[in-house]
Amino acid sequence: MAESVIGKRIPKVDSREKVTGQAVYAGDMRMPGMYYGKVVRCWEHAHAKVKKLDFSAALKVPGVVKIIGPDDVTKKPYNTTVMKLLVPEIFGEVFGEIADLNIFNRVVKHQGDAICGVIARTEEAAERAAAKIKVTYEPLPVYMTVEASKAEGKKKNGYLFTPLKPGNLAFDLPESFFPGKRYGWNDKDGKTAEQLFSKCDYIIEDTFYVPKQKQCQMENHSYVAHYDERNRLNIWTSTQMPKPVQVLIAELFELPLTRVRLTQTTVGGGFGVRLGMIGEPHACAMAMAVPGHPVRMEFLREEDWVASETRYPGHIWLKMGFKKDGTPVAVDAMYSARKGGYYTHGSGPPFCAAAFLHGMYKWQALGMQTEGYFTNEVPTGAYRGYGNPQITFAAEQMITKMCNELGLDEIEWRKKWHKSIGDETWLKGVTFASDGLNDCLDVAAKEFGWYEKKKKYAKQTGVKRRGIGLAVMQHTSGAFPMLLEHSVCTAKLNEDCTVELIQQISDLGTGGHTVITQMAAETLGFPMEDIHLKSGDSDMCGFDIGAHASRTIYCAGPATIEACESVKKQLLERAAQLLEANVADLEMKDKIISVKGNPQKSISAVKIAKEGVYNYIDAATGKTIGIPGQIQGYSSFFAKHCSPPYGACMSEVEVDIETGEVKVLNLVNGHDIGKAIHPPSVEGQLEGGAQQGLGFVLTEEYAYDSKGRVLNNDFTDYKMLGPSDMPKAKIILVETAPDPIGPMGVKSCGESALMGPIGSVANAVYDAIGIQIKEAPITPEKVLKAIKEQGLRK
Amino acid sequence: MASSRILPEFELLLPQNIKEAVSALGKLKSKASVMAGGTDVVISCTKGFGSPNVISLAEIPGLDYVVYDSKKGLRIGAMATLQQVADNADVKKRYPALQRACAINGTPQTRNMGTVVGNIMRASPSGDCICAVLAIGGKIVLQGPKGKREVNIDDFYLKYRETACKADELAIEIKLPAISAKNAFARMTRTTLDLSKVNVACSLVMSGKTVKEARVAVGAVAPTTIRLKKVEAILKGSQITDEVLQKVVATVPTEIKPIDDVRSTAEYRRDVAGVMVKRIILEALGK
Repeated sequence: MAESVIGKRIPKVDSREKVTGQAVYAGDMRMPGMYYGKVVRCWEHAHAKVKKLDFSAALKVPGVVKIIGPDDVTKKPYNTTVMKLLVPEIFGEVFGEIADLNIFNRVVKHQGDAICGVIARTEEAAERAAAKIKVTYEPLPVYMTVEASKAEGKKKNGYLFTPLKPGNLAFDLPESFFPGKRYGWNDKDGKTAEQLFSKCDYIIEDTFYVPKQKQCQMENHSYVAHYDERNRLNIWTSTQMPKPVQVLIAELFELPLTRVRLTQTTVGGGFGVRLGMIGEPHACAMAMAVPGHPVRMEFLREEDWVASETRYPGHIWLKMGFKKDGTPVAVDAMYSARKGGYYTHGSGPPFCAAAFLHGMYKWQALGMQTEGYFTNEVPTGAYRGYGNPQITFAAEQMITKMCNELGLDEIEWRKKWHKSIGDETWLKGVTFASDGLNDCLDVAAKEFGWYEKKKKYAKQTGVKRRGIGLAVMQHTSGAFPMLLEHSVCTAKLNEDCTVELIQQISDLGTGGHTVITQMAAETLGFPMEDIHLKSGDSDMCGFDIGAHASRTIYCAGPATIEACESVKKQLLERAAQLLEANVADLEMKDKIISVKGNPQKSISAVKIAKEGVYNYIDAATGKTIGIPGQIQGYSSFFAKHCSPPYGACMSEVEVDIETGEVKVLNLVNGHDIGKAIHPPSVEGQLEGGAQQGLGFVLTEEYAYDSKGRVLNNDFTDYKMLGPSDMPKAKIILVETAPDPIGPMGVKSCGESALMGPIGSVANAVYDAIGIQIKEAPITPEKVLKAIKEQGLRK
Repeated sequence: MASSRILPEFELLLPQNIKEAVSALGKLKSKASVMAGGTDVVISCTKGFGSPNVISLAEIPGLDYVVYDSKKGLRIGAMATLQQVADNADVKKRYPALQRACAINGTPQTRNMGTVVGNIMRASPSGDCICAVLAIGGKIVLQGPKGKREVNIDDFYLKYRETACKADELAIEIKLPAISAKNAFARMTRTTLDLSKVNVACSLVMSGKTVKEARVAVGAVAPTTIRLKKVEAILKGSQITDEVLQKVVATVPTEIKPIDDVRSTAEYRRDVAGVMVKRIILEALGK
């Protein structure tokens, strides 16, 4: 039998094409008759009315083919997200899902809003023409904070971002689903968290700030769209959610799915920024304006910054109550967030922030409120973690502070009080099926030298102070049962007994294509090279939600396994017929199917596959040779659970108390993966996520001027950590708690990587100087100010 | 709005010698920008701040020199790259402040293209080479239609992004004196690859333990990089004691006028500039 590839450090199936530059991104595509499309955006204002739009000078630029404005495209409003496909319609209505975006706009709600589109023969001509389009604006007041938006919304005849959302409140938890507009639970006597504080010995209350962070994926949004001679709309895009986006495009342009073909190109990083549509409507609208000509449209980096979604920023208020022995009693919380100019993922991240608070500790009662107010900022949407980084930054700092003040060992407290098997996860009514957190804590503490360092850094003098910090987290593997988690796989057995997997798998660089191939090889007992995954073509692939909620391996893997099991079963059934044996008595090894214990009685699977396709008639007998029919396995799989993984991260920092500079020296992240199918990919996820988590907690945030224009729409002034800024990081894959539901025991890892570094670095700074910095990113400016104002506390 | 991918149209002039360059500059004056490595000029174009004419020095031979003479000091030609200067043995030995400013400037890619003279001429208040040269002392050699002149770095920066170089003059060289002064440079950034939020440099001529001469420069805390004259006065004739250093730390904020910007705050710059000056003095003296 082919040697098992599960858990092996084999090269990724797509690594060679990527490192040699052969992988094709949408921006690489060149087609006959191709034009270039450029979206003209509003750069001068964050809030304005378009009074006049004059294309006359631009139309005279040589090479310009057409310029289209708001009146030349569908007026149908849309929402970038695929939420409407993930929940029943009624549920979406209760949650307040709306469609408030237009392809081209007469009212600008944030800097970068699209005004019109130039189609030209070259990008240069498109740029020159774009510069000559005259737009006359009437500036409107900008609302850049929750307070400002709320106050305006409360006024009689105050400005509303959309009449669909009174008071400019984009989202809060609906009363009908969430009594008191809170997510959580009451204690056994029905008492709310608020009511339980009177029973607590120790109460802490604080407000934290979480930043507006950009995904900074390497590939700017790029598309090719082509309305072809068969009246089909073709779109090439690196969206994370190809099938749902195909549906959204079909709906927006009122076409049947047979007339919309979406091809997913190589994805140059996702991290949530491609969770739904971004520039697809504009690319398609331009292509439809010039039928027969493909139109390539690429965002500039500065466009990506103002016209694609970001993390949801805002303030998180938390009040926690405990008994003096540390028993957690009650937590009450509020996440007050800035939505940006449009609804998009209005309900998602705020709800999930509450959900991940819900999933972590065994409180007697918990209630969290969330609200998102429209602001004249770039809309917020999905970014790796989806609310969890935000709540972890706040909640884990509170837990550590409580442990310090009550004199408790924070590792032991977390071991004792985290939710475990049988307890409710982030989602009400869904319980944990496996729990590897204690092991994560133990291996991380050992590798990190937690207790040794704790002792060593207890008393420090001097300018550079070391500190260590811990944070734990739980996340999710797919979003079932709240959201639809459906994946379809067809496994086609070729006549040479190799397998073509036809399945939409969004590999954002995460290793998805590799792992799916490994799972197929393992299920069939075939070598990896005998499996090929065909993905990315909506004409061919069955349904798949796409890459969101760390779901791919957990939710799509079972479809692969089921389809391959079906192929294997069909092979064995034919072998049983040909060998005149029972299926149950057969085994397949190296593509030879034989009766167990009687290897002479055997038949080659290759022969069965071949004869199924080339089912010739034997001229001598007049009968067919072999059993007819090409074998195909098929699965339309719906996830059964969301098996949350846990993680424990420890960080060591050095704080310069004269300058406030924080240097992360060392980071150990233990992750409860269940089973790592492809360990290098899991480690890569956790290492890459650490870089984004450290950026959240230390350096990254949008800066706006007073008029709502972004001051740092490039890498000169939006600072991510670079290679030389990264600490030594040790990722430990904990496999002691394989999940009973996840395929082959897996739990997710894609989004899990950010929370631990965020919470642990914040706590390490707190440990070093004795002061909690409650606003992320924790910049030297904030640290030094805090030391100046409060004095070193340690 | 400009595009970061498509350069706007401009006339590219490729003079073959200094005379041609100066003549072109004489005609175009402020309608032209001079390009050496292009790491700033091209970025300015993509940000919409480009000139209609760019005079490139790329085809003028013989401008990429870094020459040290024990009597005359160091001469750096207009096309000598940051990396070239950072790698130069004499620079490493005698002008560690400049060496450091070059070695950490930008990224490896931009260091291979960007030039020291370009960094000086851009006159950014946060320019790292400016800070180092201002501390070491030096002269900028300008070639105009009527010939060459030299301007002392102390008199070179007039106000924000404005220098003593006239519109028809071309900077062809900078000269640093032969010195025995101990010098050092440091900067503070948000991440390793970044522009300075504060940079500092000092150059100290020592007589035993006593400071005979001191030059201290600090950048990104005023419209131009500035020398801290009060701090220099404190240092001159003093021994570097804790007391003196405390005085220095307290004096620095009185000499600077920082602002809030996307890189930092005025308050923070005031708070740390003194600490950075203290530390650079100690570093220069090998303490």
